[in-house]
Amino acid sequence: MSASDFYNMTMQEQKLDCLGMGCPMPVVKAKQALPQLADGEWLSIDVDGETQVQNLTRMAQNRGYYVEHEPLGENFTVRIQKKEQPAAEAEQPAADSGHTVIVFGSDVMGQGNEELGHILMKAFCFSVTQMDVLPRRMIFYNDGVKLTTKGSPVLEDLRNLAEAGVEIFSCGTCLKYLNLEDAVEVGAVSNMYEILEMQMQAAKVIKP
Amino acid sequence: MAIKKQESIVITFPTTTAAMAFESTAQAAGVQGRLIPVPREISASCGMAWMSRQTAEKELTDFLNGEGAALEYMGRYELML
Repeated sequence: MSASDFYNMTMQEQKLDCLGMGCPMPVVKAKQALPQLADGEWLSIDVDGETQVQNLTRMAQNRGYYVEHEPLGENFTVRIQKKEQPAAEAEQPAADSGHTVIVFGSDVMGQGNEELGHILMKAFCFSVTQMDVLPRRMIFYNDGVKLTTKGSPVLEDLRNLAEAGVEIFSCGTCLKYLNLEDAVEVGAVSNMYEILEMQMQAAKVIKP
Repeated sequence: MAIKKQESIVITFPTTTAAMAFESTAQAAGVQGRLIPVPREISASCGMAWMSRQTAEKELTDFLNGEGAALEYMGRYELML
């Protein structure tokens, strides 16, 4: 019996209608609702975009909860089952991971000469691919999203890193502001809550 | 966890400006490759180098002997990068 069969037979669900809400509101609402649920109870969230589905799924998986989604007409329903986590894991999400996060706030490296800054950024991204130990995550915001989108001079490096297991995230607000929403070539779209959370969980944050 | 290395050709330059001039001419000529930091195997000093994968060896050599013959460069190396 799958978890969802079990759910259909036994559990009442808490419902959240997040249709029409842009990122990151569904995640915020779900985070507010989850503490009020008992262990084993389900939270069902209706959303109207795949980005919202991905953000909710990541949030649930990060907490070790079971998560699934299904189409709801042109929209989606995401279901999260709250589960009790081992205490150590819940309190110290990244205490033992010792992982590195690289944060790109611009598509140039350093301040000063812009042409040189572009060259340095290309050199930096290539150098990341040459490391024996790769970073766990790379986060791109503001002009940094120009590196993950169409026309970026470092797409080959980022694709190689993603293939090797590095998680790559672009800021959704930034993509929208710069009109690059449909131009993302590598990695996932994220929001400010995750961008902060990922840096807080890191052992080390590097900013080129 | 590391990324698999590939056979590559590396061209070094006396200055970063020469590397940048090489990049724009080579890319305009359609040579597959890019600027990278000078690999540690070649030099401990800072600087930029041109890298083409071994698969683009012929087009790079043709470029160096033809259109790029007047460009200033220092050395040519073969490395796993």
